[in-house]
Amino acid sequence: MDKKSALIFGFNKYAFEIVQNVKDTYQEVFLYSNNKNDLEDETYDAEYFDLSDDWSSIENSIDTESSVVFCVLADSAENIFLTISLREYFPKLSIIAIASNKENATKLSLAGANKVIPVVETTADIITNILQLPISNKVLHSILFEENDLKIAQIKIDEHCNIKDEEILSIDWSRYKGIIVLSLMHEDMKSEFIYSSKAKNHILTSGDTLVVVGYKNDIQEFRKYIRNRE
Amino acid sequence: MIKRLIIDGAYYLQTSKAYQAKKVFFYNLLENNQYKYKKYVDIFMVTLIFISVAVLIREVKHEVPDYLRFFSSYVVSIIFFIEYILRLWINSSVTSIIVQQADHNSFLSQDLSLFKVLKKILYVKLKYIFSIRAIIDLLAVLPFFHELRLLRVFILFRIFKLFRYARSFQMLIGVLQSKKFEFITLGVFASIVIFVSSILIYVMEANNTSSAINTLFEAVYWSIVTISTVGYGDVTPVTTEGRVVAMLVITAGIAVLAFTTSLVVSAFTEKLDEIKEVKTIEDINKLKRFYLVCGYESVAKEVTRKLLLQDSDIIVLDIDPLRIENARNDGLTVLPYDPGSIESYKKLNIDIKKQVKAILCLREDDVQNVYTALTVRSLDKDIFILSLLINDVNRKKLLFAGINNLVYPQELVGLMTKEFIGKPVAFEVIHELRSESNNVNIAEIAVTERIVENYPIVGEFGNKNFRVIILGVYKHTSDRFLFNPIDSTFLEVGDYIIAIGYDVFIKEFENHLDTKAKNG
Repeated sequence: MDKKSALIFGFNKYAFEIVQNVKDTYQEVFLYSNNKNDLEDETYDAEYFDLSDDWSSIENSIDTESSVVFCVLADSAENIFLTISLREYFPKLSIIAIASNKENATKLSLAGANKVIPVVETTADIITNILQLPISNKVLHSILFEENDLKIAQIKIDEHCNIKDEEILSIDWSRYKGIIVLSLMHEDMKSEFIYSSKAKNHILTSGDTLVVVGYKNDIQEFRKYIRNRE
Repeated sequence: MIKRLIIDGAYYLQTSKAYQAKKVFFYNLLENNQYKYKKYVDIFMVTLIFISVAVLIREVKHEVPDYLRFFSSYVVSIIFFIEYILRLWINSSVTSIIVQQADHNSFLSQDLSLFKVLKKILYVKLKYIFSIRAIIDLLAVLPFFHELRLLRVFILFRIFKLFRYARSFQMLIGVLQSKKFEFITLGVFASIVIFVSSILIYVMEANNTSSAINTLFEAVYWSIVTISTVGYGDVTPVTTEGRVVAMLVITAGIAVLAFTTSLVVSAFTEKLDEIKEVKTIEDINKLKRFYLVCGYESVAKEVTRKLLLQDSDIIVLDIDPLRIENARNDGLTVLPYDPGSIESYKKLNIDIKKQVKAILCLREDDVQNVYTALTVRSLDKDIFILSLLINDVNRKKLLFAGINNLVYPQELVGLMTKEFIGKPVAFEVIHELRSESNNVNIAEIAVTERIVENYPIVGEFGNKNFRVIILGVYKHTSDRFLFNPIDSTFLEVGDYIIAIGYDVFIKEFENHLDTKAKNG
């Protein structure tokens, strides 16, 4: 984890859920509201901000390059305005924003958000999955969100990696019993599923990232194995 | 003694399962539009009607073979007679009248009055016999006596029977009946105009030798032809007075015609929504499995769009006109019913257990979703209900209402942000698998007897040739998910293979699992 602080803009249920989920991950979590009445709330300590261009207090107190910002204001237009304002002032900041619909998601991306979560679409995806693919939905949910041994992990290929410079199809993935290599992300940030026709002739280079699913111990073994070139 | 026999007989028939089952069967066959075999009876009867009419038309100028005449006169008549008797039987229950009366009398410690019972039975049966439909049915039987030439015309009455079999005719009559008062007023007005104008024209023209109107019948004929704006011109007034009457009748005719047209149009406009609703319900009843979406807001819009992409049938229930309009614009079947009212499901006339895959409570309002869930649960204890949760403090209430699965968007966003920060690439991969934006999908392949026969163990799948990853096998018997199963894992019917790959490859893989036996 290279980010130290989380800044959450918004004082609503989305913001509170994010606080609950990230408070153990970051050294500091700051909650900001643009409504002065929210500052009197006893459950959550919030600081006031307005949508003007005065970000000096944040700039002075937080290392913005090692911070993540969550823009979750209830008003979509304000959320977009906030994103564009932050991006203008802090070009290297990681901004994650929520969008109520696809149209706003596009605007947020254009405004400079690194990652946009389209709430309605994501909720609909989950509902459709529960209905159409109940077993896989349970499995994926458990892999992603639940505390159990089956995990998803991303493993970066580096200079000392065992499988560097090998063609992806020439590798006998069955050697690594226990794990499944799902996907490969190239250094240029384009992800390909491992069995896809486009990825099959790819030669693994330093900077590529493998996405693997497996039990905790097996993933550790796999990490050890591919880094044990010497 | 006779009284005792009648009462015992009535009680016996009333409690006899075989007798009641037969009665229900014939009722369904003749009267229940929802019964799947009724349409075959309707088609059969309509065919008989057309054969009879065709024979009648042929007979006018040609010789008809004896067997056809026999078929039209006797066979069809007998079939129609049997139908008439069956309808008379199922129309009301003699046994239940006797039983009810016997119960009533025994409760009051009185003797059963056979006369009273007979009067009641006669009343209900005669009421049916003298209904227009029953009279038409009876007249359609009369061509049996076809030796009496006049009775052959009764074959035409068989055409009126079509009203019974074609629901659109019944609907038309229903629509026109809604304007009964207006039509009677119009009829009275037209009759007075015809009556007065006939007498007037007769008085003006009858004594004129050059006029074609010499009798009162010709005067009435002229009036009707003129008022209806048909105006053949075969009978025309020649006197000035007569022509003045003609002008008045023509003016009245235009008024009558305009009034009639506006009446019919307004009757249909008023009933159009109702007609469409009836048609929609009929179509819904034909569906085998569908999702019932209760409430159409933003999440519902997106969910239905995704389900439609997978060729699922969807019915939306909502009472808000704007949301109904939105759903209709999105090409969905919508009924303007309150999803929280039992009455709505009665009107829908569906078998929730058999026809509904799942109930989706997708109003962005926990109170409404609880209300809908409780309504549905009171109708069916087992149906799968999924609901949106808008406020976490209501979670327990929704679960208490019997909702099987809750989706809380805020929690989802919270979990996603945590995972996204830790493992952004891995997270994107799972997100891609779940969303429709990528061709790579996760699929659940149900293990059938055929698959077990063809490929009893995982090692024989050959999935690598199809570029499909087997994420795992869900074992139905032990409710366990075996991740990345070893080659010797046995498959059983009811298990699911969870496969990941490109859509086309997965389909080919599924075909491959199914076709080995065929080839072998």
